[in-house]
Amino acid sequence: MIEVRKLRKTFKDVVAVEDVSFIARDGEVTGLIGPNGAGKTTTLRILYTIMRPDSGVALIDGHDAAREPQEVQRRIGVLPDNRGLYPRLTAREHVRYYGRLHGIAPAELEARIDALVTTLGMEDVADRRAKGFSKGQTLKVALVHQPHNVLLDEPTNGLDVDSSRAVRDMVRRIRDEGRCVLFSSHIMSEVKALCDRIVVMGHGRVVAEGTPDELAEMTGQADLEEIFVTIAREEAELKKKATFEALKEQLDA
Amino acid sequence: MLERFGLEKIGIVAAKELRDNLRDRRSTILSMIYPLIGPVVLGMLVLFVGATLSAPKVSEHVVVVQGSAQAPEFVAFVREQGADVVETDLEDIARAVRQGMHPAVLVFPDDYAEAYAQERNVEIQLIIDSSRLSSIMAIGRTVELVNRFNRQIAQSRLAVHGLDPDVASPMSLKSVNVAASLSISGIFLNMMGPFLIFNVFIGGVYLAIDTTAGERERGSLEPLLINPLPRWQLMLGKYLASLAFTALAVLAAVVAYKVIFSGLGLLGVGLKVNPSVGDFALIFLVTVPIQMLAVAVQMIVATVTKSFKETQTYLGLLPLLPSVPGMIMVFVPLQPTTLSMLVPTYGQTILIGQIVRGEGAPLFDLLLSGGSTIAITIVLLFLAARFYNREQVAFAH
Repeated sequence: MIEVRKLRKTFKDVVAVEDVSFIARDGEVTGLIGPNGAGKTTTLRILYTIMRPDSGVALIDGHDAAREPQEVQRRIGVLPDNRGLYPRLTAREHVRYYGRLHGIAPAELEARIDALVTTLGMEDVADRRAKGFSKGQTLKVALVHQPHNVLLDEPTNGLDVDSSRAVRDMVRRIRDEGRCVLFSSHIMSEVKALCDRIVVMGHGRVVAEGTPDELAEMTGQADLEEIFVTIAREEAELKKKATFEALKEQLDA
Repeated sequence: MLERFGLEKIGIVAAKELRDNLRDRRSTILSMIYPLIGPVVLGMLVLFVGATLSAPKVSEHVVVVQGSAQAPEFVAFVREQGADVVETDLEDIARAVRQGMHPAVLVFPDDYAEAYAQERNVEIQLIIDSSRLSSIMAIGRTVELVNRFNRQIAQSRLAVHGLDPDVASPMSLKSVNVAASLSISGIFLNMMGPFLIFNVFIGGVYLAIDTTAGERERGSLEPLLINPLPRWQLMLGKYLASLAFTALAVLAAVVAYKVIFSGLGLLGVGLKVNPSVGDFALIFLVTVPIQMLAVAVQMIVATVTKSFKETQTYLGLLPLLPSVPGMIMVFVPLQPTTLSMLVPTYGQTILIGQIVRGEGAPLFDLLLSGGSTIAITIVLLFLAARFYNREQVAFAH
């Protein structure tokens, strides 16, 4: 289970995340949705221990990401938006490296890698250097230690239709195993099709939260897309205003 | 061994970085070629400059003369001294000298015989090209022969006139060279320390850059940091991999020095001292603490700089810094003090010089210099671990 309470994070003068709270339960897919710059990635990075919040807590199965990073890291599988590979390692070696860093015993690890290679249908490429790992495959690689909580940052970003579908199928399977999935996206249809609960973010805050049906009821708009577009527009207005004021200040000076 | 302390993940990271970077064939081969440059350059210097500056034997010296028929006394004198005289009938002597055909040509004027007979002073010319380093010894020897001839004739003439020859020669100068017999090769030997320390700082530098700044730029550092191991262990694994590459590069350099020095010895142009395999093993050991220090500095720079390129720029300059005291020492040999042993790279430069010149290094100095450098390294590693803990470490700014 993932729980976020009153999270706040600033970069110099910019408030990236402000008073963000939500819960992602086991056996559910929770979607984090919002326009670019809404604070989705920052929230996820705090959860997966790469950033520390200024205040508030991020808990994974009750462990504080800032205070017990190793406990949290053992319990999560992450697919960051930006995930580079080692061009000189094979697919198998990638999995082995991460598996060993997760402390999986070598014999057990090799068995899991073999199973993974079979499930992925990668028998022919598993021992080639890793140029051209697909994102769907990368996701499965990231889950080799069978984490209970899965965090995905824009997992279908830049994928073709077939690959996106493969990722979505996998997300459902993970949920059906009773695990907890939190994923961010700005693609409305995807969130609608996949999520049990949705957290809508805008300018660093949670602006709405609930099941897809609840959200529709709350806003009076049947279409989630509308909620999203409204937020995005507000965001753009705010930015314009800020830019205008900065310009004015410069002119006055 | 690491398992017992729960540190096995450091080994996992180090092994991965080594495997990964050994597959980068081009970089690996290059990193093993760089260390050979120092020994090869030094070998060439000894071979060519050393051969130029070492004086040829008198019996091998040939004085090239034009108009020798005018000066039979001089010719006889030179032959008596053991050298030879050769007459040249070249039109353009200046050109011949400039082209290096002859190192120097003595030209006797047509009225030389007459002037000599009348005991008049007469000008003779020595045609030389002072920009030709290789001619210095031959010129010197010819000038010396002329001076000696001059002195001898002057003395015999004074004697004829009933004067004491000493009257015309109030002083006689004799320089006493107190440098050890290895003076010239000694300069080259002193260069070995700075060269080696340069190797220490470039040996594994690309690995330090690639595993930190490079990994960040490729976007693989962020997922790596999510793995359950403390960041200092991750940093230390990468540190050890870079250190292994540095050690390998320095080892290659040390072996090359030994091979080249021995090779020069076989050619007969060798140095007066030829350090043994044991000496070179000790030299390698002396560099180990600086290797540890160098890689620690590289890790810090690669962690705090904003990009791969910026890292490369800074680390490209780094090797020059520790070479400065060593370079100065080549020309101004300073008295080693206890204090200088405490300065990383400086103490080692002195120690390497002492070992290579066959003077031997005092155990106390070895321990002091190594201990001080290792202590500073430990502080730097703590610092590197702290920098690795900053959240900016994962992101290109």
